[in-house]
Amino acid sequence: MPLPSSISTKLILPSMFLVLLAVTCSGQSTTGTVTMSATVSKFVEINSGGSVTLTGNSGGGVTTDGVVNTPLGVSINLGELGPSNTNSFVTASVPLKLRSNAPYVLSMSATVTSSGSTTNKIGPADVGFGLGTVSRTGTGVNTGGSDTNATSGDPTLAANGSVNGTSGRYEFTAVRSNLNAFSSSTTALNGAFIMNAVPRSNANGLVVPASFAIKPQFFENGTTTISVTFTVTAP
Amino acid sequence: MRLQHVTFSLTAVLLFMAFAQSTFGQALDISSGGQPTITGTLNGSVTGSANVTSDLVVTVNFGEVSPLNTNSIVKVTVPIGVRSNQPYQVTVSITGLNNANVEALQASDVGFGIRNMRLLGGAGKVCTQSSHLIRSPFDNDPAISATIGSSGRVAYPSSLGSLSGATVILSGPQLSKNNSANRQTSDGYAFDAILALTPQFFASGVSSATLIFTISPGPNVPC
Repeated sequence: MPLPSSISTKLILPSMFLVLLAVTCSGQSTTGTVTMSATVSKFVEINSGGSVTLTGNSGGGVTTDGVVNTPLGVSINLGELGPSNTNSFVTASVPLKLRSNAPYVLSMSATVTSSGSTTNKIGPADVGFGLGTVSRTGTGVNTGGSDTNATSGDPTLAANGSVNGTSGRYEFTAVRSNLNAFSSSTTALNGAFIMNAVPRSNANGLVVPASFAIKPQFFENGTTTISVTFTVTAP
Repeated sequence: MRLQHVTFSLTAVLLFMAFAQSTFGQALDISSGGQPTITGTLNGSVTGSANVTSDLVVTVNFGEVSPLNTNSIVKVTVPIGVRSNQPYQVTVSITGLNNANVEALQASDVGFGIRNMRLLGGAGKVCTQSSHLIRSPFDNDPAISATIGSSGRVAYPSSLGSLSGATVILSGPQLSKNNSANRQTSDGYAFDAILALTPQFFASGVSSATLIFTISPGPNVPC
């Protein structure tokens, strides 16, 4: 029986469509995609900013010195702190180097342990403390960033301490100028992000000296251990 | 059924099939060129098919790129397969990665280069009158050619910042010998798209971007 031409036409068009579909759906494509993501977490670090400077000491010395750009871990023997040391102050300056990609907070906590048994032993209030001038210099450093020093700076400055007129004991009286203010973790410095977008191999950063001072006095004889911990965070 | 109609129908189908093959069969095609890889990452990954007959769909997670990642560089190699029965060009365009903070990750912080144009196999077309040309400045491995700029930031000979719209990165003569309608494992070429990212003190945050690779008719060069 002859097939009507309309049926023949109906066969041709679906066939062509199927062929076209088979070709265009053969797994070929003219485009491809690569989707990417990356994470940058807040980063802070504290290292030694260099060698410790010890002055006014009688005996003692720097037992373990700071090595720039290595983890901070220094040990200092302040020597004799009784009246036999005739220097005005025994001071130790410890350079700190901070780096961050975010606003930072430098906190400090300290403990002072003396072998004496009276109030005349060396206590936290007898250890002056302050952070010196903050330096943001070098390639890759956010030199325009500002910092807030919560301490009163060099504890040996006349403005930061004096002899108590009643007790006669020398006292570091300015704000956060002695270790009594740091019996628990307390902010010493905070500021804007320190480093621009540069690799970690860039050795620059923010450098600030941490100064400790003790006025030789008629302290109760004995030995004293002072332990200080610096912590930097990016809240 | 009249013989005239049958003959006409059969002829039409055959002619259309032949036309379709010559028109669409492997005219221009881009696919995976093999297994993508990643090195130097911290908590990163790359996913994509190792099968060169699969579509090019790759997801790269560079992972942590702050100084927490102490590796010198994160390198991702994405093999890309290309096939054509005519001169071609490959373009790349980028979307995303437009952080307003200049200290955050920028397109220029992701090195991008093309290397290692190679035959997929015996069905790839070897042309003697024209070569496959990696367009300037992309003919480099950014992972080994990174430098430190005057600002201290890492710079690359070419980066995602070198892309402007649909940027031609590669062009050349016919890539495939045959006109198979389907991808074969050996009927074209592959090249490596290399991405490199040096961990730095970037401003914190998560960044993302998408690269779109497109193959299209290229300059009419002889084979």
